[in-house]
Amino acid sequence: MTNAAEEVSGTTPDISVVVIVYNDAARLPTAVRSVLDQSLRNVEVVIADDCSTDDSFQVAQRLAEADPDRVRAIRLAENSGGCGEPRNQGIKVARGRYVMFLDSDDILDPHACRNMLEAADRTGADLVSGKCVRVHVDHRNNKRVDWYPWLYRTTRTFDSIAELPDLFVFDTLSTNKCYRREFLQEKELTFPRGIHYEDLLFSAQAYLAAERITLIPQTVYHWNVVEKTEAKSISNRRHEINNFADRLEIHRRVDAILKRRGLEDLRLHKDVKFLKHDLVLYLRDLPFLDDDYRHRFAEMANEYTRDFPRGAFDSLDPIHAICAFLLLKEDWPNLMPAIDTLINRNKVSSPLAEVGGRVYWCADHLDDPHARDILDVTDRGYHSTPLDRLNLRNQLTGYQESATGVVLDGQIVNPLGVVPPGASMKAELEFKARRRSLRSYRVPVQELRHDGEWLSWHAEVPLRQTLRPLGIIDEVWDIRLRLTVDGRTTAGKITAGNTDLEETGAIVVRPMLTRATADRLKPEVSAKGHLAFVLTQHGRAAQVGRALVQRNLQGPPARAAKTVLRKARDARRRLDSGPRKIQGYHQMVKVLPVRKGTVVFESHLGKQYSDSPRAIFEELRRRGAPITAIWSYEGKNPPKDYPQGVELVQRWSWKYLRALAQAEFWIDNQGFPLKLAKRPETTYIQTWHGSALKRMGFDEPKYRIMAENEQQDYQKALDRFDHFVVRTEHDVRTLARAYRLPEERLLRVGYPRNDALVQARGAAEPPAAARELAAQLGLRPDLPVVLYAPTFRAAADGRVQSFEAPFDVDAFADRFGDRFTLLVRSHYLNKVTLPPSVAGRIVDVTGVPDITPLLLLADALVTDYSSVMFDYALTERPIVFYAYDWEEYAHDIRGTYFNLLEEAPGPVARTEEELLSTLSDLDAVRAKYSDQVKDFVARYGEYDRGDAAARIADRFFGPAGGTTR
Amino acid sequence: MSNRQRDIFFVANEVNELGGVARWQAQLAGLLADRGHRVTIVGIAPPEVPMDLGENPPFDTVTLYQVRPPGKWRPKGLLDRANVAARRQESARDKGVRRSTEKLSALFRAARPGAMIVVTQVWAMEWVALADTAGHPVIGMSHESYEYSKQSSRFQRVEKFYKDVDRLLLLTQEDADLWAGRGLNNVGFMPNPLPMMPEVASPRTEKVVASVGRLSHQKGIDMLLDAWAEAAPRQPGWRLKIYGAGELEAPLKAQCTELGLDDSVEWAGQTSDVPGALRGASVFIQSSRGEGFPLALLEAMACGLPCAAFDCAPGVHEIIEDGVDGLLARPGNTSELARQVVRLMADAELRDSMGELARANVQRYTPESITQRWEDLFTFLER
Repeated sequence: MTNAAEEVSGTTPDISVVVIVYNDAARLPTAVRSVLDQSLRNVEVVIADDCSTDDSFQVAQRLAEADPDRVRAIRLAENSGGCGEPRNQGIKVARGRYVMFLDSDDILDPHACRNMLEAADRTGADLVSGKCVRVHVDHRNNKRVDWYPWLYRTTRTFDSIAELPDLFVFDTLSTNKCYRREFLQEKELTFPRGIHYEDLLFSAQAYLAAERITLIPQTVYHWNVVEKTEAKSISNRRHEINNFADRLEIHRRVDAILKRRGLEDLRLHKDVKFLKHDLVLYLRDLPFLDDDYRHRFAEMANEYTRDFPRGAFDSLDPIHAICAFLLLKEDWPNLMPAIDTLINRNKVSSPLAEVGGRVYWCADHLDDPHARDILDVTDRGYHSTPLDRLNLRNQLTGYQESATGVVLDGQIVNPLGVVPPGASMKAELEFKARRRSLRSYRVPVQELRHDGEWLSWHAEVPLRQTLRPLGIIDEVWDIRLRLTVDGRTTAGKITAGNTDLEETGAIVVRPMLTRATADRLKPEVSAKGHLAFVLTQHGRAAQVGRALVQRNLQGPPARAAKTVLRKARDARRRLDSGPRKIQGYHQMVKVLPVRKGTVVFESHLGKQYSDSPRAIFEELRRRGAPITAIWSYEGKNPPKDYPQGVELVQRWSWKYLRALAQAEFWIDNQGFPLKLAKRPETTYIQTWHGSALKRMGFDEPKYRIMAENEQQDYQKALDRFDHFVVRTEHDVRTLARAYRLPEERLLRVGYPRNDALVQARGAAEPPAAARELAAQLGLRPDLPVVLYAPTFRAAADGRVQSFEAPFDVDAFADRFGDRFTLLVRSHYLNKVTLPPSVAGRIVDVTGVPDITPLLLLADALVTDYSSVMFDYALTERPIVFYAYDWEEYAHDIRGTYFNLLEEAPGPVARTEEELLSTLSDLDAVRAKYSDQVKDFVARYGEYDRGDAAARIADRFFGPAGGTTR
Repeated sequence: MSNRQRDIFFVANEVNELGGVARWQAQLAGLLADRGHRVTIVGIAPPEVPMDLGENPPFDTVTLYQVRPPGKWRPKGLLDRANVAARRQESARDKGVRRSTEKLSALFRAARPGAMIVVTQVWAMEWVALADTAGHPVIGMSHESYEYSKQSSRFQRVEKFYKDVDRLLLLTQEDADLWAGRGLNNVGFMPNPLPMMPEVASPRTEKVVASVGRLSHQKGIDMLLDAWAEAAPRQPGWRLKIYGAGELEAPLKAQCTELGLDDSVEWAGQTSDVPGALRGASVFIQSSRGEGFPLALLEAMACGLPCAAFDCAPGVHEIIEDGVDGLLARPGNTSELARQVVRLMADAELRDSMGELARANVQRYTPESITQRWEDLFTFLER
């Protein structure tokens, strides 16, 4: 908004911006303009031309003549071939107190210099670094991607780069920085000549020399990126490998400085980054290169990484470490699949090996303990993942054109024999357009053979007849192989590997929009290494037609057509969007009548058929109550354990909304969608899902600090509850108060889900449901069962942390395996991975939807702060509390209603040793705590009397028929 | 650096609407006038509850509208587009906007070279954006934390109207960084000056905890009462004095009675003598849901009171160093606020040491040093 500064203080510019140019006359003026238009006026431009062969220098001179006080142009006597030397020359003639660099194809943010100067003058830094943004100029909307944004969230100042190793290893650009000119001179900082990656060395030297570094979160530099449209070919991949030598040389020079300065820690960070990033850049290309190149690359890489300390491998992702290790060993047969997993993270690409109760990437190298550590992939849980959740590597081994299309051969990996010999197998190939999957085609795979670690397949694909592309918009077709084994299906793309596709011919096709759009289909390898087909134009008609289409796709009529299409798509999206659905729901409430006798049940937001809604439903069904039951489920298909003979509706589907709009009763344990208002004719029975230890509702800080209108919305959602089930006066004091529920809405009947627990009290053996479950899980019938059911831990940002057993599972199984079976049930949001070594002794039951049968089955419970303690206490069996992190849990932001350490009706173990020694004598626990458990039930479960479901059924659905009870 | 004498305009929603922004504005305008600058405060609309600016303030004041202009009309649906009355009103509004921006432009054009335009609230920026600023630098300001502005339409308006100003000032570095993260690259920060510096500190002898603030949702007095219900039984004999008036007076008093706190809580009403009120207390407590750079904390600390407060904004932990010159609790965690205030009530030595340190540490916001920072900023923007 400032038009002009009337006076620029003094003759010394605050900042000199060195703009380097080589054969870029067209863009140079834009770069220079971005400096002259800075909000900070007192800047100068030094254009350093690397002896261009176009008229870049003339343009530079004209720019200098137009603004002689602020622009100067210099020219190198001969071309230096890099960015370093022009910058060196620019620094030499710069007059400013500070120096920045700009490339002729990029621009500075309008406030870059002002922000740099402000930060440098305020902190006295030698070097200020700001955020760089990569602008993809050939992308439709000029996509912008911040460069290492996590380094640039806040303004920070350091007295040594050692305080922030991440900056050192990741942000190696020289252009998003502002250097004190005296600092550059004193430390004699210059760019190296005649070598690639000059930024890397210069930045490292500058970081190490700086006695103060300031980072600012403002964007300073716009790095214009033109993505190479040219496909990667073997030749340009080889070229990249050649650059690898330069990269190693630069790294060695930096290492030498680090060694001189004794900066071991920085060196370690740099090694880790090299393994994680630099190496990976090249590994990705290896599958496409021949053996000679692979070998040369491995030699170079290994010569450099051989001396890395073991610590460098420890902090890597397992797959990075595996690749680096196998490369060191030059173990190509195991490395190539590993690279596939490196590129496609969720893919299993090796047959794996189970040895001594652990799972390893391969069966080789395992005699070396260091190798075992690296190759151990037990924690990935491959061994406990069913086939339909595995993405299996499928490698193309043969590609042949035929008269009708192509003949393909391939191998699918069979990790740990997940597909047993003799299983019933079936496979088909699926072709799908990549952009806007309008249609797909499937063809059968004729041969499929079990070869132990591999499944081999052979398919003759009559592409000419089957594949009928439109011709435009669906140029690229992906292929996946769908493998079905004993009813479970997995689908995966086909890795082209080094099957030579560059020499293959094209297949003649007939697009629906005639051959004027395209006439051939050519195989192609995607960026992730997968086989795909692309439409091409071979004949003259196709080439001319295509050019015409291309032109017309840009013209005004095409644009209008595209706008219409986009609008139609958006309208469709809006129709299925949340707000539209909520609106639709309220319309239905207005116009549709209540359907008498309909009850919509939901448990845990549709994730389960369980808990009190299930208990009430089963009671009603047992009585033959005249209701129409509707159960809600989340996900695409209803889980298998959902009841038969009732209507099942997907949560948030239009059917679901309609069911809710017309229901006479809503019954759930957590909350139907908050934004759906309830009509007055509908009765909402909120059973809730557990007594509270942690603060809830308006007792939680996050609800307390909400704005007034947000609080009102939340209260409105809570006011929908017509009845709220409580199982103790503790609930009345905590939950009812936290949700601001008036007295008359409380149902003091106990939890229907707990009826079975009360009824099982003192029974000689568990009820049928529990026995059935034990058989299903394959538990040893001669051993008692202990259930470990901890609650989840939330991270500071409220996200659920992943589950890790807080004890050594192998040691546990060895100690107790022949005395009892341990069931582990983590929160349903978590996933548990147990090593094969503990199989049968420690069993993951997280996937069992309903916890009640597990509680019935368990002879003792180990928990921490889960509300399951209130329920299990009803059985009067022993409870052991494993509260290793109580202080942390109790003092996190939410806080608790009471002190568990004082109230716990069982021993509280604070350490792993205490837990193990307590569990070694469960009879003693039973004897010592039986009175306390009864007392706990009296205080925290006095309404759970075994008839909750019946009482709710009686009250809302009429008394039970005489015959049933 | 030479301190040339400048024409400085403050453009605010109102010249003197009772509240923190107007107090800060009048104070800073006075400070700059004392340094020889010619200061004008421009208000868009007349205040609803005016604050007394005293006899002969050292600055000029101008208000553009005689009555507050209506909000912009946005037709709802097709039918509403044909709403003739609304259209007529809208065109009258447009005329008003044109007239008032013309007044603004005239003021700016008449200013000497070197003039500065400080827009203290984002609503006022809508007028400045339309006016001819005659080449003078424009400094925008937001007086609340980044997070708190998210709760209102001001968040979007800051992004829209302040994106092209020469400098957008937030209250703390942390707030400025957050806005930079949203893509505003023109951000800087400037703390508020101490609103007062009493000669004598509180003797900290009365068993009184004081709270000063409007009885509104933002100030979180409901949470204060819950915290006090946990704290009071642990330190019998202490009283909580709640200064301030506001729309929530009745429900808050009812809550107080329901919690059984009537014996230990005193509703002291609005006071014109804040230093006096603070001198009668030994501890200060703040329970706000959102703040910017809270003057109440600055005042309490200047009076030598140790504070217990929810850490609801960067400005709060910028002013209080937790555990050093005051105690902080996580926002909304009333038990933690209770624990913190109990620590202060229970320990006279802690009160004295923290109170003295608080009084010393807020000296970094003396009016002299903040005024100097403003003058330095003006010079910087001319480079």
